[in-house]
Amino acid sequence: MAYKISRPKRTLGDQAFFPEAAKGMALTIRRFFKNTFSKEENKVIATVRYPDEVRDYPERFRGVHRLTHRTDGSPRCVACLCCSTACPAQCIYIEPAEYDTDDPRAGYERYPRVFVIDELRCIFCGYCVEACPCDAIRMDTGVHVPASFDRSHFIFDKETLMSIPGKDGTYVTENPRHEPGDPTHPGITREQGH
Amino acid sequence: MPTFKLDGQEIPFEPGDTVIRAAYRQGIEIPHYCWHPGLSIAANCRMCLVEVRSGRQMALPILKWDAKKNEYVEATKPKLQPACQLAAQEDMEIFARSDHALKAQESTQEFLLLNHPVDCPICDQAGECKLQDYWLSSQTKLKRKRTEPVHKPKAVRFGPTIVYDAERCIMCTRCIRFCDEVAKDHVLDMRERGNVNEIVVSPGRELDHDYTLMTEHVCPVGALTSKDFRFKARVWFLKSAPSVCTGCATGCNSWVDYDPRYQRVYRLRPRDNEAVNQYWMCDDGMMTYKRFHEDRILAGRVRTSGRTSEVSRDDAVRAAARVLEKIEPGRLAVVLSAQASSEDNYVLAKLAADHFETDRFYLTARAPWRGDDILRHPDANPNRAGATMASKGEPRSMEQLVEDIERGDVGAVLSLGPDTDLSEAELAPLANLVSEGVGTAAHVNLTANAGALTSSASVVVPVASVAETSGTFVNAKGVAQQFKKALQAPGDIQPAWLTLVEIGRHLGWEIDWRRLGDVRTAMPKPLPPSSETTSTEPSAAPAE
Repeated sequence: MAYKISRPKRTLGDQAFFPEAAKGMALTIRRFFKNTFSKEENKVIATVRYPDEVRDYPERFRGVHRLTHRTDGSPRCVACLCCSTACPAQCIYIEPAEYDTDDPRAGYERYPRVFVIDELRCIFCGYCVEACPCDAIRMDTGVHVPASFDRSHFIFDKETLMSIPGKDGTYVTENPRHEPGDPTHPGITREQGH
Repeated sequence: MPTFKLDGQEIPFEPGDTVIRAAYRQGIEIPHYCWHPGLSIAANCRMCLVEVRSGRQMALPILKWDAKKNEYVEATKPKLQPACQLAAQEDMEIFARSDHALKAQESTQEFLLLNHPVDCPICDQAGECKLQDYWLSSQTKLKRKRTEPVHKPKAVRFGPTIVYDAERCIMCTRCIRFCDEVAKDHVLDMRERGNVNEIVVSPGRELDHDYTLMTEHVCPVGALTSKDFRFKARVWFLKSAPSVCTGCATGCNSWVDYDPRYQRVYRLRPRDNEAVNQYWMCDDGMMTYKRFHEDRILAGRVRTSGRTSEVSRDDAVRAAARVLEKIEPGRLAVVLSAQASSEDNYVLAKLAADHFETDRFYLTARAPWRGDDILRHPDANPNRAGATMASKGEPRSMEQLVEDIERGDVGAVLSLGPDTDLSEAELAPLANLVSEGVGTAAHVNLTANAGALTSSASVVVPVASVAETSGTFVNAKGVAQQFKKALQAPGDIQPAWLTLVEIGRHLGWEIDWRRLGDVRTAMPKPLPPSSETTSTEPSAAPAE
């Protein structure tokens, strides 16, 4: 059985085609003069002059990853591997290591000796950011991975990831950390605390 | 067999069993922390509280919040009992999933987590932690406590192998009881009470007996961590293969925990077997996993005119066949290995007897180590009995081999494995035999790792290690136990028995063994009684 398709009702003016084409052309020409010669705030234009002009991304745009810093410049990351566990593209490779014995964090925490993200393999889902319990990995940089002709340029190591600032230009986050020695940090010995 | 009822299910028990043990034997887990099948009963964690319904029920008066009346009303609740301490009796009615029992489990769980730092991301127990498991099964609520938790010592060094974190500790005393009852060394104890309670090492001592890693193994939470495994891997990435420890002739059943992505073994864990090792392994045994990767031989080596060159594995097999072809019958010495599986030894002995018509069987083994009357056997080889079985009669010692070489009776050596109890100086005649390289004299060594025998060989053929192949070990008591392959052998490396069949085929040995099952069928009985080798305890399931 054939469907019955309702046809739009068209007047003679519509069917003649020419009046409608002229109307459209008039709008185009009106917009052309308005956008070319009128004041900036009166312009009605939907496009930007890319790449000279770049439109702001939404607040929650997921850009290239960054590894946030502690106040002393070391990574906040404790190499818990939660991000690489959550990663559906399996693009994060981490090798955990222990701090040196004279470091105040030795024994409490570990750090990533190697932290590599394959940005070509990454699907920018943001699960790693969700999974991170330490606010150590973020995608709030607001920029894309720079294009390149070489695949190896997309293998971002720890130093590269730590050298990318957030949208606010800083390398830290606003969430506080409890460092060893702080009164709030776990691990006060009995002699100090009891 | 008498039975009792647990949540409506009939549970058989033996006289003297506790409720939790009878259920455990049936594969039913009543939540618990302090109870361990191999340790005494402490009943201090209160996680296994169950409701017992009987004629003379003890009821406690309580105040219960009534939301309708908006006030507390008087009510009663049954007195709950710890299942780990409650002796099972005929026709008992136990409820581990009743409302009262579930409420008790939830409250206990909340109490245990009250001062817990919840540092799961940096805790090595995460993924196999009872606190996590029971939080999910019994609590699933956020912490209600809003104040700062009580802080206790962290990263305390207990000894060369163990680090202790008091904040994660739930004071189940399993580690103390293990040291007292199994290792027979009262080196751990507890001090203080309440929320500053902690485990301490005896003054002037450190945790340094032969079973320290077992304290970490029995720890249901992340309080005790092994320095070796600490921070190395996350357990949810690891897979487990049932294996047998290669440390000594006890043949403790173990799980090989390996990461399939990197094809690397990270640790060994005891696999419960009441007949052999109960629930335990010794430290040195647990560290034997390092041998799987240490000095691994990945390519063949052929020595020609005094110089050793690396060749591919296939070339090494062909080179081995070429040198063995020239050997006069009867002048070949076959060195079986107490470190290799029964299958490897059997195929080697069969090849020697069938093709070379030799009866010169020797046995190489690692030097004995310190034994004890708990688990450690003085013979540091897992399969001396199996290798002896293969040789049809007592094989001769390596000293005898050296003597025979000096006397000129032996023209060539075909050996298995890298290990020997002789020093390099004592092995000098063997090295001299082939110092010139491949000629009329030859020493063909099939090995996974470099060792004393490898360095004196003229042809080295790489084979799969114990972790990379399946096989059988016969322990000192004569129990044959099978172990399963965990890792893929790197490259085109094959198990020793298959490599030997391949060498044999080059020599014209007409045998068609392709799978391990073919060898096992051909091998002399008794084959391992499978019931004895499999894990008897159901809750010993690995973190897979």
